[in-house]
Amino acid sequence: MGILTSEIPAAVEPVPIKEPALKRQYPGALVVVEGIDGSGKSTQLYLLKRWLEIGGYRIHFTEWNSSPLVKSATRRGKQRRLLTPTTFSLLHAADFADRCERQIMPLLHGGYLVLADRYIYTAFARDSARGCSPHWLRNLYSFAPTPDITFYFRAPLDVAVNRIVAGRPKLKYYEAGMDLGISLDRAESFRIFQERILNNYDQMIDSDHFVLMDGTVRVNKLQKLMRQIVGERISLQQFAPKKK
Amino acid sequence: MTRAPKNPPKTNGSNGRPHKKKKATAAELPSRFYGTPLPGVKPEELSGTLIVIEGTDGSGRSTQISLLTEWLESEGFAVQTMGLRRSYLVGEDIDGLLAENAVTRMTLSLMYSTDFFDQLERRILPALRSGLIVLADRYIFTLIARSAVRGIGRDYLHGIYETALRPDLTFWLNVRPEVAFDREFKKSQTISYWESGRDMSLSNDLFQSFIRYQSMIKREFEYLSKRHGFIETDGESSVSEVNRVLRKRIALHLGIRSTHYRPSHALSQLWR
Repeated sequence: MGILTSEIPAAVEPVPIKEPALKRQYPGALVVVEGIDGSGKSTQLYLLKRWLEIGGYRIHFTEWNSSPLVKSATRRGKQRRLLTPTTFSLLHAADFADRCERQIMPLLHGGYLVLADRYIYTAFARDSARGCSPHWLRNLYSFAPTPDITFYFRAPLDVAVNRIVAGRPKLKYYEAGMDLGISLDRAESFRIFQERILNNYDQMIDSDHFVLMDGTVRVNKLQKLMRQIVGERISLQQFAPKKK
Repeated sequence: MTRAPKNPPKTNGSNGRPHKKKKATAAELPSRFYGTPLPGVKPEELSGTLIVIEGTDGSGRSTQISLLTEWLESEGFAVQTMGLRRSYLVGEDIDGLLAENAVTRMTLSLMYSTDFFDQLERRILPALRSGLIVLADRYIFTLIARSAVRGIGRDYLHGIYETALRPDLTFWLNVRPEVAFDREFKKSQTISYWESGRDMSLSNDLFQSFIRYQSMIKREFEYLSKRHGFIETDGESSVSEVNRVLRKRIALHLGIRSTHYRPSHALSQLWR
């Protein structure tokens, strides 16, 4: 061995990228909403966010698939329909990792209440509906912090699908799960794809401690319940505006 | 030259849960995939051969791949190549991220995975289905080593690549970091930001940073070599000698009788 290589100590001791899931290493808190398209989750999270914003709480809102990082790749892949279940999944994971490392983690360490519209369970439900192995997906996202509360908005398939189809002139190729070759009819393909996703979500209710929310309940009534649960499970006082 | 095998440098699994250790080596597990194959792939359709050349920058990989391609073509084998950042999907995006130096380790690691799987699914598997020889200029091992020295768990990384195809032969062109430094410096008159691990704040001196970083990578390769059964090759021998060793092993695998080869005029400047 050369004189230089043999005696050099590791300058940086590799550190694990995530602490055991149950022990929180940060003062912040994470609240996420999950559910299929049309389940009402985004409306409810928006109302929760407004409530906290108006109260002056230290919050941050983040959305699935919003980082500019993978935008060009996603566009390229979608336009030319080049994405396979694996690359589709990995691109979204890279996008999430960017948000996680540059927004979510620093904000949790900085004592923010982070609100996320869709989280890793979206990837578990959707990508396994595309054929990725659930075991592989769990490992892929194991760097993500575990939410303090995961609200799962559940609406019957017909209700949810009708909400989406009514509001959209045309379903997109990947959105409708056309890459799976289930049906040549987009509306039909979308319905079957959403049904698979719904079933996958249902299977995570217990294992991932979802708080089940009935998406057919009136909006203001459901929001009242959501605020109540947040108030019970998270000590909001620590995110309140500091009195001078 | 080679260091006594050591236990892997310590890192924990990224998810904090205990992982089952897979002890099986390539020889015991003839499967073409490490774990569950990629969705939609039938392993029995893959009649081609995947040959991987691993090693740091300056280990002579690209030179050997050019020479091997010529030799295999002269023997009548069709060759396809792959390498890092060459995918249509995200190859250029990674170049952009590297240029900005603003990307974090997990994101970069996953962008490289995307790049890898895009090439694997859209280029390598079709080539192997057609019975081609695929020469890979680096493979998952470099990606695992680079991420592991940055603190991402080894089990996590192996988990991501468990759906990848297991190479038929993996050669490791092993060179000492100082030799790699000399060769790289001679080639480009400078040392790249990422190849010297400058994102890791190892040293303000570029030479020290390069040596430390490459030593860490080398340690990961020693571990990977044992885990995956690399064919370790002395990358400090002459180009013709390294090439002879590679040809001999590949000829054995492919059933080529004569391994005589002299580079064509176009490649003769590589023959040192």
